[in-house]
Amino acid sequence: MELPIIGDIIRLSRDPKDSLRLSRSNLEFWVNLLIISWAVAFAIWQGVGFAITVGTVFAIWAILSVSLNLVVGFTGLLSVAHIGFFGIGAYAMAILTSDAAYEQLRTEAIPTLGWPFFAALPVSVGVAGLVAVVVGIAFNRFRDDIYVLVSFGFAVIAFNVFLNWRSLTRGAFGIHEIERPAIGGWVFDGELEFLALVLVSLAVVILIAWFLMTSSFGRVLTAIREDEQATEVFGYQVTHYKLAIWVISAMMAGLAGGLFGSWTTFVDPNSFVLMESILLVSIVILGGLATIWGSLLGAMAFVLLEEGMRFLPFLPSEFVGQGRQVVLGILLVVLMLFRPQGLVGRYKL
Amino acid sequence: MLSNFSDRRKLLAVVLITVVTAYIGWKIGQSPNQALQFAFNGLSVGAIYALLAMGFTIVYSTVWFFDLYYGAAAALGAYGVFYLRGQEVLGGQHAVNSPYVNGVFALVIAGVVAWALHAAFYRRLRSRFHPTALRVGGGMLSGAAGVYTGLVLAYPDHIHIALSPLVGVLVALAAIWALQRGCRRIWRDAEHRALLITSAGAAATVGAYCGFLIANAPGAKLYLSWALSCLLAGAVGLALYRGLYVYMRQRARSPLVMLVASLGILLAITAFIVIIFQSTPHPLPEPFGNEPWAIGEATIKGFNVFTIGMAIAGFVGLLLLLKKTRFGRMVRAIGDDEEVSKVVGINTTVIIAIVFFIGAAFAALAGLLSGHDTAIQPRLGLLLLLKGWIASVVGGIGNLYGAIVGGFVLGMIEQFGIWDLAGEWKDVISFVVLILFLSFWPLGLLPKR
Amino acid sequence: MTTAPTDSGDSYALETVEISKLFGAVKAVDELTISIPRKGMTSIVGPNGSGKSTLVNLLSGTLPLDGGIVIIDGVGLKVVKAHETPDHGLTRTFQEVRLFDQITVWDNIMVVLTSRKLFPAMLERTQSSHREKAQAILENVGMWDKRRALAMDLSYGQRKLLEIGRAMALDVDTYLFDEPFAGLFPQMLERVKEIMKGMRDEGRTIVFISHIMDIVREMSDHIIVLDSGKLLTAGEVEGVLNREEVIEAYLGA
Repeated sequence: MELPIIGDIIRLSRDPKDSLRLSRSNLEFWVNLLIISWAVAFAIWQGVGFAITVGTVFAIWAILSVSLNLVVGFTGLLSVAHIGFFGIGAYAMAILTSDAAYEQLRTEAIPTLGWPFFAALPVSVGVAGLVAVVVGIAFNRFRDDIYVLVSFGFAVIAFNVFLNWRSLTRGAFGIHEIERPAIGGWVFDGELEFLALVLVSLAVVILIAWFLMTSSFGRVLTAIREDEQATEVFGYQVTHYKLAIWVISAMMAGLAGGLFGSWTTFVDPNSFVLMESILLVSIVILGGLATIWGSLLGAMAFVLLEEGMRFLPFLPSEFVGQGRQVVLGILLVVLMLFRPQGLVGRYKL
Repeated sequence: MLSNFSDRRKLLAVVLITVVTAYIGWKIGQSPNQALQFAFNGLSVGAIYALLAMGFTIVYSTVWFFDLYYGAAAALGAYGVFYLRGQEVLGGQHAVNSPYVNGVFALVIAGVVAWALHAAFYRRLRSRFHPTALRVGGGMLSGAAGVYTGLVLAYPDHIHIALSPLVGVLVALAAIWALQRGCRRIWRDAEHRALLITSAGAAATVGAYCGFLIANAPGAKLYLSWALSCLLAGAVGLALYRGLYVYMRQRARSPLVMLVASLGILLAITAFIVIIFQSTPHPLPEPFGNEPWAIGEATIKGFNVFTIGMAIAGFVGLLLLLKKTRFGRMVRAIGDDEEVSKVVGINTTVIIAIVFFIGAAFAALAGLLSGHDTAIQPRLGLLLLLKGWIASVVGGIGNLYGAIVGGFVLGMIEQFGIWDLAGEWKDVISFVVLILFLSFWPLGLLPKR
Repeated sequence: MTTAPTDSGDSYALETVEISKLFGAVKAVDELTISIPRKGMTSIVGPNGSGKSTLVNLLSGTLPLDGGIVIIDGVGLKVVKAHETPDHGLTRTFQEVRLFDQITVWDNIMVVLTSRKLFPAMLERTQSSHREKAQAILENVGMWDKRRALAMDLSYGQRKLLEIGRAMALDVDTYLFDEPFAGLFPQMLERVKEIMKGMRDEGRTIVFISHIMDIVREMSDHIIVLDSGKLLTAGEVEGVLNREEVIEAYLGA
């Protein structure tokens, strides 16, 4: 099998006007092979404990990126707002299940509710969904670059609420001692058990996403992405469809947030800054628009990138996150130049 | 008759404006002094937003996409000043002086100069000289420019000495141009050569004197660093357009491709800034006019007045550039229809690249002015970007008048909004304003056409 | 009023009463009152900028009305909502051929066939009845071989055909075709003509815009002539096309 990429790059450097025609299957094959073998090699090299931690991080990012792909890739709404719903889910989980005695900490006190995990998780999902209904109705009229701007706005507003509504979120102090899931007396204390739980959630999310996107509903969403007005002429209430997928996607993000809060047992606003949201969009675009598999690949590459960078000799360890950001930014530019659908995508931006 | 949706919306908008006006009026009546203070704050913040919005607008009205690089440009402007003048704040020590950074900017400048020489002279000189000679000459010139930039960046303590010859030459060139134009108008039939020699001599004297003045002026180091920062950020903007966006615009299906690419650039540059300067806030050296003036019981710093003045000067300058010059007419022609402009012989790539340079330089100016007002941190870029974007949308997308009005309006609303709310909610206020505005006036305050 | 044949109110598929549309200060459609008889083919002609496409956009709800009433199938509407037009028995094609570019030809047709209700659509999978209908339509417009291609990869003529096929997939009484013959090779043109004739023979109302006078003469039963947003004349083809003012509007201008 020949490498198609190099030849194409040479051709491009000769005549940049000639649009790059990579043979799709070849490139996708190499991308899949690269990322999966990279993951396997890492797991073997670093051992099981490492694989479990990284696997959990991957699964949470994967839920997020699959859910965002429903909006960005399938429906064509370039939203940077998703970290807000992720944060709402995490904070709902934190506030409901935390059993820290804040009165003794002499900082901002919030009531201790002490719900069990499995009662709080549906609330995480539900609250994210409810907020999404309101936000979605407000956002429905916007499109293209203005949509990007207002979705930035939601991410900023959500972050400021987490940071400044101290009587609810304890502001910058964060919320401690978030409950780990338990069924009866069996607590998901171990990392392995938690990984299993997160992977099951991921599987459920993928299943729902796959089911929706292969249904008539999903087909209409792709039509809306291509031409909203033409879709409307054929009798579809476009706003309802956009709102529905927006809410579903936000609920998935809320689920990821709930799991994230419970996994780290501590949340503070720094996990939900705007940059994270931009990174999330980059993952979705990197992996591939309008494919679920692409989102999984993107999340995998993103997690591996951070872990891989820890072993770069010239990069101090506190800048690993920044290094990853640089790589993602440059990748984004290269993709937009040569492959606007992402690595294995089915929709060109 | 509220059966119609748009009627209901109009009514809502009127109610909203009435409520806001009544609220502000009531607050002003309660304590006029405080209101004045908030108005001053609003104006000085608004000036920065207006500068950013103007940068956005001039680019948006030409190529119809928002270049998110301007967030990074604002940060580059502020951090550029810190890079060059940081030792004044940190007690004589350089915060950072990395050969890699100097090298990167040297390369950017060399590339931009090479491109500029090529665009300006290549076609004209090709008939007289051999292409290879031209290439070698241009390459040497641009290489020299790069090395010069690298050296200036490497020795920021001597920036006033290193840059004063350049300033002198620029002033001399400007003087020659002005003298030539003036003389032609007065003595139409004067002998050409004599005029040239006289004016060149006069110009050289003026230039040398200016250079000498700058080399010895007390504040020159700081203001030269401002100019250099804006220049570098602008050059990066130009290089991004010529090196990336040109190719994307040839193939892109939608402007979102460029938007996402510029988002990637923003990500990368922001991360680089964190790696080089750490994410902790830094102060910039104190500029002039730092002691507050009292007007009534409100105070305003001289520097803030200067900022407002810069915004207005920038607006007037851009307006004159767009309305009165040949360049401005070409820019507007491209904004109307790029294909037709190409057909009538405008070199669209060059014109648009200059527009990108101007926009990024405005963003960098806004960034460094706001950095002097508060402190600088890597997040500054993203926040300023969003504020400038909001201001340009609120004012009316693609309208220069809208940009300055939108900037000041946004600044005022933000400051009056935090009168009763705590100050940390001001980002929320500006986005709520944005969403309300877009819901009622999707085209902004002063829509283009 | 119009000079179109008037039997009773029910015989009109589509009527307008003094509808207007302004673009800034320009009256694209100016208090236009027309009626389009049920069944058969009606063509809308007129010089460039006479408001033909705007009229179609107003009738289909793609543009909002600035005044007047549209009567579709006997139902008077002050506001035409695009997503309700199929319920009133109307659909359209676009002058600039607006397909769903980045999905397959097959899905382009399927979009039109599936459920319009939000929640049932989430559960609905492709049914064999849909499949048969989509196959029938694709075979009718001759695109069955191309069903797996993306719509963006088709040639211009194929895109036109697919858009007509997509409109046909919607089972309504009235079809508005905006310039279905523009820019087609003779072979393709014959095909489009045949398809449209077939639809007319099924007893549907077909309204189309065209610049090509031979086709208008050949295909249409009724004709509506617009000039600068106003009705110039309307009626049976032969009568109208021989009238002086029509000849003047076309040949004199």
